[in-house]
Amino acid sequence: MADDQLKQQLKEMIVERLFLDVEPAQIADDENLMENYDIDSVNLFEIVVGLEEHFEISFEDEDFSVDLFATVDSLAEYVERKRS
Amino acid sequence: MVALEERLVTIESGGRGLHGVLHLPEDPAAGAFVFCHPFAEEKKCAHRTMVEAARAFAEAGWAALRFDLRGCGDSPGEFGECDLSGWGADLHSALDWLRGELSPRRAGLLGLRLGGALAARVAEERDDVDCLVLWEPIVDGERYIHENLRRSIIKAMMTRHEGGEDADGAAGQAHALGEGTVDFDGYQVPERMREQIAASNLLDQPRGFPGPVLVVNLSTSDSVAEPLRLLADCYPAGSAAAVRQEPVWQRIGVIDATPTTQLTVEWLQQMR
Repeated sequence: MADDQLKQQLKEMIVERLFLDVEPAQIADDENLMENYDIDSVNLFEIVVGLEEHFEISFEDEDFSVDLFATVDSLAEYVERKRS
Repeated sequence: MVALEERLVTIESGGRGLHGVLHLPEDPAAGAFVFCHPFAEEKKCAHRTMVEAARAFAEAGWAALRFDLRGCGDSPGEFGECDLSGWGADLHSALDWLRGELSPRRAGLLGLRLGGALAARVAEERDDVDCLVLWEPIVDGERYIHENLRRSIIKAMMTRHEGGEDADGAAGQAHALGEGTVDFDGYQVPERMREQIAASNLLDQPRGFPGPVLVVNLSTSDSVAEPLRLLADCYPAGSAAAVRQEPVWQRIGVIDATPTTQLTVEWLQQMR
């Protein structure tokens, strides 16, 4: 299970990079980001860049899947896996 | 806002008549700018911003010429047959045309994204450019190509998710990178063009342009990103500024670019 601090950092990054009008803490760990925040391919690209810059990880082409970007939980697990 | 004169113009370049729009100020011009648009889909997304910026320049007393590079927008030519050399020649032609038409007291270049990289290069190839404005210029061409390929992969992933018919094909094309022509958002980018862009790096040497330069970073941050700060430092009279602004080149729609335009016009007013 990814830690809460990482999840909070992810939420802050998402809110900042997507100019969302919501407090980071209001995003639930398991809510569907793509459906609830109208995330499209442009937003996803911003999240990828944000993940790489903020968390110093690097995406491989085969990493890209919709499930990865579904929730803060899934993103946090991905970041932890890449860091380990 | 005062309705100012906007005139359709044709600029001869390499045997082609390039489409342009000249925005004229009401009072005698403080100077004149040529705008250099971004690449492929980014041009389409940024169109409204470029129009509004040209109007803001004219309101502030600066004429602004917007034009379409060969193979882009309403200018003749096949996009897939173009290259940076030809686009550079077009920008030279536009500057020559503007100088001949208006004899401005000062002439400047404004470029957005890849247009910024092109403007930076052309400004160094002549001695009659007085100032340079670079909005989120592509500093590292290789990284830019990589990012575009990333976008293709993400789009293919989304299309597949939504059950689009061409999802597999798009994914295959996005992954068939590195060889031959690739698809950037529907624009066929041939290998030669891709190689030229990838070889473009504004930080690989000190910049020779001696006049004032404004590098603007449009992002979610209040501080200037390191590559753009380094770029501004490469110029003898370079300065950099950050604007909290959605990326105007990423999405077709209404993005209010007033903060970026306002900052640029204020910078220009210091030179009047």
